[in-house]
Amino acid sequence: MAQPALKDTRVEEFEKKQEWWWAAEKRRSGRLDYLRKAIWKKGAIGGLYAPGVKTDLEQAVLTTNMAKALEGSPDPYVVKSAKLFAHILDNKTIFITDHAQLVGYTGSLPNTMNWNPSIASILNSEVFNDPISIPEPVDKNQAVIQEIVDYWAGKTDLDKMMPVFDMDDLMKMLSGSIGWGVPLARGGYSNKDYEYIMTGKRGFQDIIDELDKKMDEIDDAVHEPTANKEIAMMYDRLNNWEAMRIALEAGIRIAKRYARLARIMAENFEEDPKRKEELLKIAAACEQVPAHPPRNLQESFQYDIFIQMMSRTEAIEGAWPCRPDYYHGPYYDKDVHIDKTLTKEEALDLVGEFLIRAAEVCQFKPKWAREGLQGIDGTWVWTMGGVDEKGKDACNDLTIAFMQAARLVRVANPTFAFRWHPQVKDEVMREVFECIRHGLGYPSIRNDPILVSNAMHWHGHPIEEARLWVHQACMSPNPTTKHGYQPMRMANATANCAKIIEYVFTSGFDPVVNMQVGAETPDVSTFKNFEAFFDAWVLQMRTIFSILVRSVNRARLLAPTMTPRPFLSGLSERCIESGQDTCDPSIARGNAWITAFTWVENADSLAAVKKLVFDEGKYSLAELKDALAKNWNGYEDMRLDFVKNAPKWGNDDDDVDRIMLRCLDACAKFSKELKCPCGNNWPILPENVSGNIHYANIVGALPNGRRLGDALYDGGISPGPGLDKKGPTAVLKSCGKIDHVTQGRAFLLNQRLSPTQLAGEKGFQLWKAYMRTWADLGLDHVQFNMVDDATLRSAQKDPEKYQEVIVRVAGYSAHFVDISRKTQDNIIQRTVQGLG
Amino acid sequence: MTTCQECKNFFPLEEDPNRGDCVQRVKDPRQAYYQAKPVNAEDDASACASFQKKQQ
Repeated sequence: MAQPALKDTRVEEFEKKQEWWWAAEKRRSGRLDYLRKAIWKKGAIGGLYAPGVKTDLEQAVLTTNMAKALEGSPDPYVVKSAKLFAHILDNKTIFITDHAQLVGYTGSLPNTMNWNPSIASILNSEVFNDPISIPEPVDKNQAVIQEIVDYWAGKTDLDKMMPVFDMDDLMKMLSGSIGWGVPLARGGYSNKDYEYIMTGKRGFQDIIDELDKKMDEIDDAVHEPTANKEIAMMYDRLNNWEAMRIALEAGIRIAKRYARLARIMAENFEEDPKRKEELLKIAAACEQVPAHPPRNLQESFQYDIFIQMMSRTEAIEGAWPCRPDYYHGPYYDKDVHIDKTLTKEEALDLVGEFLIRAAEVCQFKPKWAREGLQGIDGTWVWTMGGVDEKGKDACNDLTIAFMQAARLVRVANPTFAFRWHPQVKDEVMREVFECIRHGLGYPSIRNDPILVSNAMHWHGHPIEEARLWVHQACMSPNPTTKHGYQPMRMANATANCAKIIEYVFTSGFDPVVNMQVGAETPDVSTFKNFEAFFDAWVLQMRTIFSILVRSVNRARLLAPTMTPRPFLSGLSERCIESGQDTCDPSIARGNAWITAFTWVENADSLAAVKKLVFDEGKYSLAELKDALAKNWNGYEDMRLDFVKNAPKWGNDDDDVDRIMLRCLDACAKFSKELKCPCGNNWPILPENVSGNIHYANIVGALPNGRRLGDALYDGGISPGPGLDKKGPTAVLKSCGKIDHVTQGRAFLLNQRLSPTQLAGEKGFQLWKAYMRTWADLGLDHVQFNMVDDATLRSAQKDPEKYQEVIVRVAGYSAHFVDISRKTQDNIIQRTVQGLG
Repeated sequence: MTTCQECKNFFPLEEDPNRGDCVQRVKDPRQAYYQAKPVNAEDDASACASFQKKQQ
């Protein structure tokens, strides 16, 4: 039976003062308290990793040694890739933490960050040059790193891909001015075919048996007395299947290594009979999964952790698409309600530990990624709630348990996104609300009926599949089905959209990177009317989006042969069936999207130009061009005019809202012209993570009054901080003018609410009324910060005392003390909306 | 030469006693755990700081 960490009468006092983090510490079990405090915080602070967190050289050395050993091997590349993967799993150091019931980690030790040197030399160079994370002794290990970096130069995925990209596009993309990320199949956000592997029907051994059968059949077929193109192609299928089998077998073996360690601990070291029993249970779980389907909740969680750990051995994963209440819920029900083998408290311990296991995951990331995702390693946005394939409410007792566990362990990553629909029970909504009220910043709320329709509209997913969607990264829905799941969302189709309006004034020349990036539109001062100005905006938008999308399309086409993923393929029904790699576009429906960072600046800037230049004629375009080129220096009165007297998005003001809709219409039209290699569309998805801070020094002065260096808006369709002056309903009304099905893939909305106003039952009712308006207006997303200014300012002054305060940054949450001062200020500047 | 199999941290595999795990107790600043690293029975342990002679 789980025991609270400490009986403490001060719990209520902490709750009254809304010091939820102290209350949680007192309320959680001793086990959860130990494991929560055992986490090495891996999210970067100010772009740098925390002291004590070290790059894991073990995997890098294992990978490099095996790659050298395979150099003379006649194996096809995909088989070599699988053997590399297997070699790591067979030889890495593993560990089991005291009190843990779940095992498995990406690195070799708890304080390490996994480093895969086979993916990108630009990443390897950053490992070498990192001032903090090289393990002791630094000199010796720097020499080891140097050797690894030298070996992989010219051999990594990105090194091999670069010569086959359009070099012009590549230079523009890698300049860092318009895009974010690189087009790689082993670096981005992998969704998975959870309907195939996570529904209790099969484990890895069952898939291996299926593969053996397939290979036997093909082996017979290729030796029939005939010859044709189909037979010639079958050899590639055999190679892929063989690689999948190697990867899955390695997955079973490493689980058995954990089982063995648990048994060794139980039989040789552990004296506490209760812990001994737990260790033997861990051993039994790791002997069962992933080889065979799980039998209970612990094994179901363990199965999931193994899959995630292995996927992160094969690739750098920036996200964690999943739906844990849906896929693990039946095991919770069986253990807690039917078999009664777990009490609710014991189950809560397992759920809390499952969150902790995810919170500690880390892979070494380049600095631009760390700056864009301040305080976290990646956007682990876990999907909760929603409906089943028939459209019935899928919320269950595990949904509630996840909400309760989140309030106990208070990790900033993973976070939850809750699929709201009209059938959701009040009891579940209350649990969701309590998480928000406790200042976690999550769950974000997603409008399920809207997003199911959206998935059908943009990507043609059939309704039964569309209903099974998860967040592929922060925001974008993607079904977990055979043809619907997208194996890799390559992050570089992430547009720094403020450049669209900036380039209208520079004719596409980027003064920051000193190169022609955008379209060479005519000198802005020659435009005689707003229509000509807007046409230039559209051309810049089309140019930027095309550069980014072309690179992804090219990478996706080349991925099956140049950067195969045998492990991920081995979890996919379509790959097992066809013998093709998971990224092969011919067997996928497609679910691409363009993330639109720094989006709203366009609407506010266009509205300002329309009003002050064309409608009122107060300024000429030549004058504005000069002011922007000079970063408004010498034009302060004019700048203030553009800030104060131009309409701003988020105030239910049709003058600017119409422009927003016009921009979105232009994008939506172009989204259907852009096609991915699966033949599907490229809708846009406005959101920001912390790109608004990352791009502050990259985006020049803008007509909304912003200066170079100022933080950009916090993103999606959120109004500029402090610029939404007409209350929460006006914000919702502006956002509700957008068609959230047909004008884009999803739209992020940040809102700040007052924790004092929303206290207690009255607060819940107020919030529910707000959410009803949100749903009625057809918005697809909203997320809340509910920490007051006083607490945040105190945390700035005395960060040591406020280590556990969590805030919603953008599509993710982070500990307030782990984000930059500029981001902190940006969050404080957001308007606190009074409801009612 | 001192080898891994002479160490009390060495746990041979049942199916292949020439291979096994070096199992050690570790306490870092945040947590305590047991770690296991695959080794060969005949690996040189003469420079190993964790070597502890197995009791006969």
